[in-house]
Amino acid sequence: MNPILDIQHVTHSFGQHTALQDISFSVKQGEVVGLIGRSGAGKSTLLRCLCALERPQQGHILLDGVDLTTQPERQLVRIRRRIGLVFQHFNLLTSRTVAGNIALPLQIAGCPRKEQAARIAELLDLVGLKGFEKKYPSQLSGGQKQRVGIARALAANPTLLLCDEATSALDPESTNSILNLLADINRKLGLTIVLITHEMDVVRRFAQRILVLDHGRLVEDGTLLDFLRDGQNNRTLQTLLADIRPSLPTFLTGTLADTPQQGPHKTIIRLVLSGDSASAPLFSELSAQFGVQAALLQGGVTTVGEHLSGDMILSLKGDRTEQALSHLKMAAQNMEILGYVPSHS
Amino acid sequence: MSPLILKLILHSTWQTLEMVVASTALSVILGLPLALFMIATGPQGLYRLPFAARLMGMVVDAVRAVPFIILLVLLIPVTRFIAGTSLGTEAAIVPLSIAGIPYFARIAEMALREVDSGLVDAVRAMGGTRMTIIRSVLIAEALPGLVTGVTVTLITMVGASAMAGVIGAGGLGDLAIRYGYQRFNTTVMFGVVVVLIIMVSLMQVLGNSLARWLKH
Repeated sequence: MNPILDIQHVTHSFGQHTALQDISFSVKQGEVVGLIGRSGAGKSTLLRCLCALERPQQGHILLDGVDLTTQPERQLVRIRRRIGLVFQHFNLLTSRTVAGNIALPLQIAGCPRKEQAARIAELLDLVGLKGFEKKYPSQLSGGQKQRVGIARALAANPTLLLCDEATSALDPESTNSILNLLADINRKLGLTIVLITHEMDVVRRFAQRILVLDHGRLVEDGTLLDFLRDGQNNRTLQTLLADIRPSLPTFLTGTLADTPQQGPHKTIIRLVLSGDSASAPLFSELSAQFGVQAALLQGGVTTVGEHLSGDMILSLKGDRTEQALSHLKMAAQNMEILGYVPSHS
Repeated sequence: MSPLILKLILHSTWQTLEMVVASTALSVILGLPLALFMIATGPQGLYRLPFAARLMGMVVDAVRAVPFIILLVLLIPVTRFIAGTSLGTEAAIVPLSIAGIPYFARIAEMALREVDSGLVDAVRAMGGTRMTIIRSVLIAEALPGLVTGVTVTLITMVGASAMAGVIGAGGLGDLAIRYGYQRFNTTVMFGVVVVLIIMVSLMQVLGNSLARWLKH
């Protein structure tokens, strides 16, 4: 199947400053892709190129086979109608009611007035705001405003939904409900979604694939599990992952040594598990097979996408720790020895 | 107060209202497109033409720089060309409007500039044409500010129309000068001031409530 969105060698700069450098990736129909990067990484510029507001200086952007970079402005106006955009600050018209805001893309697309009302009711039902037609944006909470923003973005049946920091201005509870709504929309409508954010926590929830942007370059393309498994030596990834990974408890950092001490000691390890290995009875295995006492210090098992994924810090104690470690190395996606602490602590 | 004086005041009030309403209406009808032109051709506008924007700004400022009493006299040939005469209430509408258009244009420009650029981007990204953006975003979102601008223009026109007596336009200002000042008729002077205060207060109250109602 042809990709719905195909970015080929996109380069864009503002004067001396190169905002995007040779970016290439493609997105399949129905895929949820998270585009992550720190501020200044080029996310906003890429977004503006993707929704045809900015024309990249080099490279091609193909949406459903149509090259956005070569279309005249008049055509771009039509193409933009097929891209839904959800904004960080909602960008709802304060002069219009909820229904009026959702109606705007329909009016732009020239949808007959009679069909508009039905479509608006249907969309409000989808985003969980039934009966809010006559309210004004000033009467809504942040989460509700974003729901209206999503309904508006979906109104004209877009082929692609772009979310620009859609949850960054929301409290954690609203963030959760908006992310669930987006996941729901992806499942129900099979809509392709590109999430642009600086928060790993947001893409972790439901992005099937994560693209990492750093200093205008696409530095990583993979799943969260790939990153947890192979990202040890990647500084950009580590800073982004730091928010969501368990970190060593502070009471241990002082006594942690790189080499095993004389006498009784514990080995502190970081373990990344996925799928079957994440649901296996790990602790009883260690105890039964190797007589090793394992204690969970930080982290645990969560769901990433549709799979179980474990990311945890353990302390192991016992005479056969070495064997236990080589067993874990085989069974786990990634095993890293963080250090050793004296046994009494 | 004698019925004669009352009749005089009523007649002058009607003349003032005629001048104020007509010139404000013309100022809005012609000043709003002017403001949109300055915003749209400006550096962040929809049709970037910085030179045109700067030129228009200069013309607007030039008209605003001339004191109204001088403009009134200066424009006599123009007034005669447009209104057919340079005297009377209807004729005064011409210089009042010419002063009012750039005045309202500047106020409207400020109101339009206040509109969040994110909204313009949002509608542009939706595939809205520039006309849609001007109508549904710029004007619609700036409407409370524009209404406040209309109120300010109305009240400024009340003040300016007092000077129109110079070209025989009548009105409350003219009445106050001729009867109240030149004939020492304090009753007329007092009556005119009271009517003006009531007129301006009413305009302000109505303008404010309309703007508040539009502000959702």
